[in-house]
Amino acid sequence: MFRNIYWKRILRTLRDKATLFWTWIFPIIMATLFYVVFANLDVMGQLHEIPLGVIDTESYQQDISLHSALESVSDENGDTLFTVSLFGNTDEADIALENGDIDGYVLYDLMGDDPTLVVSDDGLNQTLAKRFLDGYLQIKNSVSIQATERLSSLLEEETYTKEISLSNNPPTEKVNYYYALLAMMCLYGGFQGLITVTYLQSNLSPLGARQAMAPVGRMRMVAYDLLGGLTMHFLCLLIAVAYIIFVLGTDFGSKLWLVLLTCFVGSVLGVAFGAMVSLTSKLKEAAKVALLITVTMVCCFLSGLMVGGVNYTVAEKAPVVAWLNPAARITDAFYCLYYYDTYERFFLNIGIILIMALAMLTVTALFVRRQRYDSI
Amino acid sequence: MIQVHNLVKRYGDLIALDHFDLTIHKGEIFGLLGPNGSGKTTAINCMLSLLKYSKGEVKLFGQPMGPNRYALKKRIGVVMQNVAVFNELTVIENINYFCGLYVPDKAKRKALVEEAIDFTGLGDYRKFLPKKLSGGLLRRLNIACGIAHKPELIFLDEPTVAVDPQSRNHILEGIRKLNQDGATVVYTSHYMEEVEQLCSRIMIMDKGKAVATGTKEELKAMIRTGEKLTVELHALPESILEEIRGIEGLVQVDYADNTLTMRYAAGGHHLSTVLDILRRHDISFGRVFSEPPTLNDVFLEITGTELKD
Repeated sequence: MFRNIYWKRILRTLRDKATLFWTWIFPIIMATLFYVVFANLDVMGQLHEIPLGVIDTESYQQDISLHSALESVSDENGDTLFTVSLFGNTDEADIALENGDIDGYVLYDLMGDDPTLVVSDDGLNQTLAKRFLDGYLQIKNSVSIQATERLSSLLEEETYTKEISLSNNPPTEKVNYYYALLAMMCLYGGFQGLITVTYLQSNLSPLGARQAMAPVGRMRMVAYDLLGGLTMHFLCLLIAVAYIIFVLGTDFGSKLWLVLLTCFVGSVLGVAFGAMVSLTSKLKEAAKVALLITVTMVCCFLSGLMVGGVNYTVAEKAPVVAWLNPAARITDAFYCLYYYDTYERFFLNIGIILIMALAMLTVTALFVRRQRYDSI
Repeated sequence: MIQVHNLVKRYGDLIALDHFDLTIHKGEIFGLLGPNGSGKTTAINCMLSLLKYSKGEVKLFGQPMGPNRYALKKRIGVVMQNVAVFNELTVIENINYFCGLYVPDKAKRKALVEEAIDFTGLGDYRKFLPKKLSGGLLRRLNIACGIAHKPELIFLDEPTVAVDPQSRNHILEGIRKLNQDGATVVYTSHYMEEVEQLCSRIMIMDKGKAVATGTKEELKAMIRTGEKLTVELHALPESILEEIRGIEGLVQVDYADNTLTMRYAAGGHHLSTVLDILRRHDISFGRVFSEPPTLNDVFLEITGTELKD
């Protein structure tokens, strides 16, 4: 009996082109789009050395504090904010500026007063160089000459901080989008739950009525069929994860088995969600599909799928919503695996997802037990 | 085989089954005949425990029927009014799936599936998906899925709706064969010819009530109208029409669209009398038809409305 129901369900899912597209193909397309759109996302956030020129005049030679300030933005590992090149005169510096060899140069005027920055373009590097020089001048003018030897440390404290990662994995914005995508895919398991219930309840379809006449317990039939749907849905998540890791080259960290566990638990939640929605509402099938998609997309939006950072805002402003949002919990579980070396928060998320799934399956079971209807 | 006693089913204020009683014996092909909305499908769904009912009792095989009576369900086959097959499974996979819900043994099931395919004439279509089948073949598949496990009691709810004549004949022949093989059949339809042709006993339903039950002969004997005579003629003066109306034993005489229609009282035969009058007045006539009373006549006389409506 189990094999008959389970395998036929798998066969049906494999041949159902609409489900195949929305739960198998569509997420792959989305992942590919993310790959294309967010390819430079992490690179954009990284700071590269800024080539800066200085006109090597007598004034510069005497300005020890500027020397110190420029040295201060280099650390012992060699991560330098500026790569300083000295020029004998402004003509040489202008040529270098024109050729793009430097983003700007520092020039002392003839009076030998404060240095000024010469740039030929607007950009992040030019802004940073200007901020640096402004900060330097502000502090230089506000502290005594005797304190100039401390200038470098003051500059460092005021403007430049160093990001220290508590994780073994490098910080990246890109994976957050993939996590939200996987969470969306998990919730798309709702389609599988919806199909099971629609075709097994006599009040929802002629097929349901025919199957209701079979000499098999309703709970058994629903359980076997849901299991088939869950298997197929989890398989589609495995393929998506494999595609993201091996084809798109995205690193999900070293805890791949726990990533897959999260996918599985998320799939259970998605399937249970679809079954519950399908059983409890009196809407037509198309309306139920629309409801499932809407709820899934709202949950995914709140978990940061469409706009990065929304999940943090929701967690801050409406923590209850964040904790009850299944997509946010799945996304957060992935996030914990990637960034945290400990597992407390990860398993807390998994626990919440399982409790949600259990509650939905319980509601489903209560409705499935009803076998006779007022109308069919 | 089936005993239904005092069954009442309400949809809000509407009474779909009104103190409905029914007894079907083993080996019968029992027809439930009635217009759409008369309560045939509701009666079947209540008998199968798919629908809740307000009052009454249903016994199948001498035992009360309920949703969890799996031992009873195992002996029943159902062919729903709407085609209920999986669009993603082929003909053979569909039959195998539904048969598998009743027969776990794979070898035994394989033989039964082949038998059902032969029985419904779907041998050439076993690898076809349902969407590739014509309406008639789809209906045959629907039947095959319902009877593959060889049930003792088969419910067929309007199995020939929207079916071509060839498939209809195939289906009706198949039902007769199932009955000959020992199955008791409950057959609902609003096609009176089918029911008349197929069923050993018939119940006529209207507005949730059983208005008459019996063999087709018994039903026809219940009414006071008998044979219907139709004569084609080009013109009929009013005086001759009045003379014909004066024939004793004619309960209805009409002339319209160059057709004279007469209905006798039960047991009456007045063909020669009518034709004599026409000849005497030199009224030339064309074709003459004589039809025995139909179930529609029975329904018309009992309910005052046409069954076809």
